[in-house]
Amino acid sequence: MSTNNMSDPRRPNKVLRYKPPPSESNPALDDPTPDYMNLLGMIFSMCGLMLKLKWCAWVAVYCSFISFANSRSSEDTKQMMSSFMLSISAVVMSYLQNPQPMTPPW
Amino acid sequence: MKAVHVFCIALLVFGSASEAKFDDFEDEEDIVEYDDNDFAEFEDVMEDSVTESPQRVINTEDDEDETTVELEGQDENQEGDFEDSDTQEGDSESEPYDDEEFEGYEDKPDTTSSKNKDPITIVDVPAHLQNSWESYYLEILMVTGLLAYIMNYIIGKNKNSRLAQAWFNTHRELLESNFTLVGDDGTNKEATSTGKLNQENEHIYNLWCSGRVCCEGMLIQLRVSNAAVAATTTGAVRMPRPPNTRGSGLIPPCSFFSAPFAAAAAAATTAASQPVADWGRGGEEKARLTCAVRKSRAEGRSLEGAGMVHFLTHYADKIESVHFSDQFSGPKIMQEEGQPLKLPDTKRTLLFTFNVPGSGNTYPKDMEALLPLMNMVIYSIDKAKKFRLNREGKQKADKNRARVEENFLKLTHVQRQEAAQSRREEKKRAEKERIMNEEDPEKQRRLEEAALRREQKKLEKKQMKMKQIKVKAM
Repeated sequence: MSTNNMSDPRRPNKVLRYKPPPSESNPALDDPTPDYMNLLGMIFSMCGLMLKLKWCAWVAVYCSFISFANSRSSEDTKQMMSSFMLSISAVVMSYLQNPQPMTPPW
Repeated sequence: MKAVHVFCIALLVFGSASEAKFDDFEDEEDIVEYDDNDFAEFEDVMEDSVTESPQRVINTEDDEDETTVELEGQDENQEGDFEDSDTQEGDSESEPYDDEEFEGYEDKPDTTSSKNKDPITIVDVPAHLQNSWESYYLEILMVTGLLAYIMNYIIGKNKNSRLAQAWFNTHRELLESNFTLVGDDGTNKEATSTGKLNQENEHIYNLWCSGRVCCEGMLIQLRVSNAAVAATTTGAVRMPRPPNTRGSGLIPPCSFFSAPFAAAAAAATTAASQPVADWGRGGEEKARLTCAVRKSRAEGRSLEGAGMVHFLTHYADKIESVHFSDQFSGPKIMQEEGQPLKLPDTKRTLLFTFNVPGSGNTYPKDMEALLPLMNMVIYSIDKAKKFRLNREGKQKADKNRARVEENFLKLTHVQRQEAAQSRREEKKRAEKERIMNEEDPEKQRRLEEAALRREQKKLEKKQMKMKQIKVKAM
């Protein structure tokens, strides 16, 4: 028995639970892409809605997709969904107000 | 007499009526001809109407189109008519309709009307009314790009998941034979093995193992390619070539103790290039592997031994870095204050960074190549427990650490002073508030006296110290 215990390195009495490292301890380690993309998406959505720029609305859709794709599973999905819905609404409103095809900004 | 009067009156009345009637007519000829015949009126009117209708038509046309110049035009026309009537008076009877009469007359209305008419502009049909999808090419391009991104994301996510699962399946047996707890997300009430990876992200997978001799726990982090980033390849495991770090970044000898390691973190990842504050190494940046172990071997003292050296040389292309420390404090914390006031907590840690083979195009079968590396990790844990520095090495390490601590204290001296001052003020304020809030005046007085006495004692102590310093200086 003792030899078995010696050869078996497992110790059930020394089990420690997993503690996720707090993100506040080092925010530099966290990937800032989802936050930046979320913010950019909101800015472009507002520009598309207020200034009636279709290309802004489309860029907002892209930003919200990228933010969603890079987000962590622990992050709140409501924020992502609201950003996504805002960008879609910006596109829809732009085309309802002006059904003409989009002209490139350059 | 009366009859004559009546006749005169009748004549006058008849004359005024006829004049009124005749005023409507523009030509005198109508009046003359009207008197001759009952039907002359109609004949002449018809004849003249033929001649006059163009004029009238024109006039009406003129009236419709040229309201502003109507009077002038009419005046001109009237004059023209009068002129024409004067010149053609003799010919009117023989030729009731003369084209020449209107020669110069017709052009004027036409020219004036053509000048004043707006030019016809042909406007292009709006694009959205053209019933053509080609005009929406930009929108189609956008949607296509979006669909391509979504497809790339889904494919990459699936591939990453398969790779991570393949790695876990390959290493499951080894891990389960060495650890009691394999897989824990920290949310369950009881410490039971979940037997699966924690997906932190679409490209980051964690696995926590615990319950082993000489090791409190092991966190394995598997970082695959970020499939959501359009720039990277789909689902591939990102594997940058190990940098050529020969001769750079030495791992100084560490004083390991007999106590088990706090945690051994093994990471099969890409190069983690964040700065690491390891107080055991004097606050230097994270070191690379290469010749560190070889150098220690040349010095006649090797932490790992021949087996380890064999591993390191044989799998050099897969090993990114190895970091052993007994005072590992994690990555540098970038605080807004600029400098932390105290040294961070440290742990005894072994850090391994491996590269997954495949060079950007990894398949699940490539994960089997990492199994020997995991064996090396387990071997290192056991070996590190028995490692001891000699006395000289320990002294050197302690000296280095003391030097680092002194430097740190010097840097933070001002901040620590300010922090201490603020703490003292806070204490005073709290005490004053307590005294003020005290309802019993006797007690209040006593508290005030006690506070005064304390302050006086502090002052006296300070004065004594100053005197001593002066005496010593003398």
